[in-house]
Amino acid sequence: MTVGICFKCIGCLLIIAGSSGWGCWMAGNYRSRLCLLEQLRQMVLMLKGQILYANAPLQEGFEAVGQRTEGILSDLFSQVAKRIDQQQGEPFCQIWKEEVGHLDESSSFSLADRQSLAALGEHLGFMDKNMQEKNLLLYLEELDLVIEDLRKHKQERCRLYISLGIMGGLFLAVLLL
Amino acid sequence: MDKRDELMKLFSRDIREILKQTPAEFDQVQEIRLRIHAPLLMVYYNHEYYLTTEGKLSKQAGEAYIVSRSGLKETLEYISSYSLYAFEEELKQGFITVQGGHRIGVAGKAITDASGIRGMKFISFINVRLSHQVRGCADQVMPYLYKEGRVLHTLIISSPGCGKTTLLRDMIRQISDGCGPGPGINVGVVDERSEIGACYQGTPQNELGIRTDILDCCPKAQGMMMMIRTMSPQVIAVDEIGGKEDMEAIAYVMNCGCKLIATVHGNSLEDIRQKPVLGRLMEERWFERYIVLDNERKMGKIKGIYDSRGLALYTAKGEDYDGRHLF
Repeated sequence: MTVGICFKCIGCLLIIAGSSGWGCWMAGNYRSRLCLLEQLRQMVLMLKGQILYANAPLQEGFEAVGQRTEGILSDLFSQVAKRIDQQQGEPFCQIWKEEVGHLDESSSFSLADRQSLAALGEHLGFMDKNMQEKNLLLYLEELDLVIEDLRKHKQERCRLYISLGIMGGLFLAVLLL
Repeated sequence: MDKRDELMKLFSRDIREILKQTPAEFDQVQEIRLRIHAPLLMVYYNHEYYLTTEGKLSKQAGEAYIVSRSGLKETLEYISSYSLYAFEEELKQGFITVQGGHRIGVAGKAITDASGIRGMKFISFINVRLSHQVRGCADQVMPYLYKEGRVLHTLIISSPGCGKTTLLRDMIRQISDGCGPGPGINVGVVDERSEIGACYQGTPQNELGIRTDILDCCPKAQGMMMMIRTMSPQVIAVDEIGGKEDMEAIAYVMNCGCKLIATVHGNSLEDIRQKPVLGRLMEERWFERYIVLDNERKMGKIKGIYDSRGLALYTAKGEDYDGRHLF
């Protein structure tokens, strides 16, 4: 009897811990998505600087920005630069799309983030410098909106995820008891 | 990366396949020409050949591979590394210099506005001119460039495609490293078109000597003055002078005790004498040596070496060409 209650209690605790962990993970994911997008914004700004100030071709621009940063986005930029340099005979948008597609599935990017990042490559390199600037600015604008939204709701969403996790766990535990 | 791989990357996939199969030695290829809906041409060992789909060099136009619009467009993408915008200034002048110092001439429809040519569209003609470094090709001219161990102001006169940049490159290397007639000295190279040093991300791809500083992609006139102020070279080397603005800089270089080695387009001393600004420099004997090249029989043949008064120090005599080929 006592052993049974003990098992039930342990089970409930595990459920509560699990669901709380899920809530914390969701909140962490939210924060890390915001961090990634902020880093991406900074990298796109640096790329814009490379193109406008240093008159760098895409390969040089991506390489320089990739070297100055870290993480999965740095790898993405460096890999794109490497593939442009190899010139295996595919269009730039294909290289970009493939590399964005290779981004770690476990990264905090949402599907929409990935899609909009992949779309950035469709117009890069086309026409003059002015056009590059406008393309990058357009993407930055889009990025700013997402970042602003994420920042605005950061506290409440994170709290919500954590509370939902704990409450959900408690609810399940009560149900099972 | 060898020259074949370096060049292969510039062309569309179709043309790459052809070039992969061609038996031509890429060190001896001078030009590859692409014209829309026209045969693919290669200038090899001073002779023009059609390239067939199987990569063979042929003299029959009928066997040639015909360049398509999509092939040209694709080639242009690779030449510019998908970044045509980065070559706006070069395109205004009608050429792009790529990794390895190869010069790609382009022609199409010029986009103009009140200030002149703004760019180019419908690029339908591409001429890939291969850059070659021939170490030692200046050996025969070096003794003429020095007097009492000091370098003389020298002008290399040559028609396009005769090898003046190749000769200049080796002269720079020998002056910088030191050669028989003189010790090594500091040389400043103003490489407006990235052809002399072929710098790629700041690193010269051609060997220009241990005492050489290169100002890459900088307009000659400004570059020469900058070099003197910043790097205090004893010799300044530039390619293809001729503009009015260059002359002021040349006078500045020569007046500050620096020696100048330059190249100019022309066939003979007479040609240069008739040019308004360069003609005046000749009259006033600013240059102390003139080297005239031609490619009558072989690229880079010395036609003559002259002093400041235009007196021949060396001229190619009749059939006696063989010993005087630079490369």
